[in-house]
Amino acid sequence: MGKKIIKYILTLLVVVFIAYNSVYFKKLSEVKAAAAKVFDPAAYARTYLEKKLLPAANGAPDADALLSQMKNKPADGFKTNGHALDIGNTRYFMVKGQGMITSIDENDVYLTTTGKNNLKIATEYIFGNALRDAPGIITVNDFTNSMDLNNVAAEVDKLVRTEVLPPFKSKVKKGDNINFAGAFELNQEHLNLSNIEIIPVALKIN
Amino acid sequence: MKHIKILLLLVLLPFIGCKSRTDNHQKKMAIVVSTLNNPWFVFLAQTAAAQAKSLGYETKIFDSQNNTALESDHFDNAISSGYGAILFNPTDANGSVANVMKAKKAGIPVFCMDREVNSPDAATSQILSDSYSGCVDLGKYFVKSTHAKGNYVEILGIVADNNTWARSKGFHSVVDYYPGLKMVAQQSADFDRNKGMEVMESILQAHPDITAVFCGNDAMAMGAYQALAAAGKAHNVKVLGFDGAGDAIEGIKDGKILATAMQFPKVMAQTAADYADAYFKGRRDFPKKIQVGVEMVTGDNINDYIAYGKKQ
Repeated sequence: MGKKIIKYILTLLVVVFIAYNSVYFKKLSEVKAAAAKVFDPAAYARTYLEKKLLPAANGAPDADALLSQMKNKPADGFKTNGHALDIGNTRYFMVKGQGMITSIDENDVYLTTTGKNNLKIATEYIFGNALRDAPGIITVNDFTNSMDLNNVAAEVDKLVRTEVLPPFKSKVKKGDNINFAGAFELNQEHLNLSNIEIIPVALKIN
Repeated sequence: MKHIKILLLLVLLPFIGCKSRTDNHQKKMAIVVSTLNNPWFVFLAQTAAAQAKSLGYETKIFDSQNNTALESDHFDNAISSGYGAILFNPTDANGSVANVMKAKKAGIPVFCMDREVNSPDAATSQILSDSYSGCVDLGKYFVKSTHAKGNYVEILGIVADNNTWARSKGFHSVVDYYPGLKMVAQQSADFDRNKGMEVMESILQAHPDITAVFCGNDAMAMGAYQALAAAGKAHNVKVLGFDGAGDAIEGIKDGKILATAMQFPKVMAQTAADYADAYFKGRRDFPKKIQVGVEMVTGDNINDYIAYGKKQ
């Protein structure tokens, strides 16, 4: 009889132990709050553009000075002005400047800067990470999900495509003098300064 | 009384096991990879093993055969055999989390290579290719090459892997802006060359009038090319892959493949092994995630690249 009672008690203890470790309780309000906390890349991109990217563009190096540095001391240029979230060869640069439009095609406008450098500004293929990464403000670990980070780049590009470019594209013509600010990419291992394409964030026809 | 003793022993046994696991970490690194049926992952695993050995560690490569249950067995083995770190290429972004947590609970750091697990805290660090950005570049090149018009096919990788969707979303983040490009079929071939060929054969039956195929990796791209060649359509259909595998690099030189995106498995594998070494030596402040840049390879810059990387 005594043995039986001990056996029952032990069995009960095992059942309680397993049940205790199998079930947990959370406040419903906490679960709902966690579910409601969905990242909004469009809202993030809007705030980033207005509060961080445009101020960074205002403080960006002048195109002629930056290109001179990249020609003469590329290692210094990459170190002081290049940014990227990834390990690798691609680095992004913020830039601003002035120039005269020399030609226009379906993908770009081409210009000569006041320092006689030839550049092109993208008007069709506004894609990629240049505007997200060039200021060096955002880091990978700001986001728990990689897709949120990717979506921020896509949403910033979308704002440029829908808000920055249409008024510019509808008016710009050969011979116009413009002010521009934006970002471009360079490959450190295969440096090519003759084909720089700027993804714009601010464009003004003077 | 005998039964009670056995019962008590059964209850206490798991705790005894846990104790012995945490105290027995040796200077060994386990390399657990999703599959060794794809040369890219063989290169990843062997590079990680070589780097770990060069740092003075004993290593063993475990092949999960794209099966999370087998992967779980490998983690159990690695934990019970006293491996001090796991260099890990997960099979399933969600399904592999439990395995990483198991190692974490046993006090063993896990460094993910190339593929991520959907948990910000499970792995010690995740060293990943920036697949999305690589496919944004491929998407731009795709639009320019097709002049933004025509029917195309997308062949996806393993649907449970985040890289599959990062690549697909990167590609579509560009291509979907062009209404002249119409995706007539989207199907998975599990990153497998033979399945890529079978899927392409099947799609060609229903859609013989395609102009391009975007594949989530080079193995599937080569399989798709085989199917197109067998159907006499290889010259009319542009094939794009992803990885930078040897046969795709040769394929670009031969005009079979239009473009691929070069990942750098050597960088990922060596970084993972270096991090594990640093962990053994006491470092604990690892970035939760590191992205490794991906570079587009086309006929224009093919001479800068070799399989799995750049020419030195």
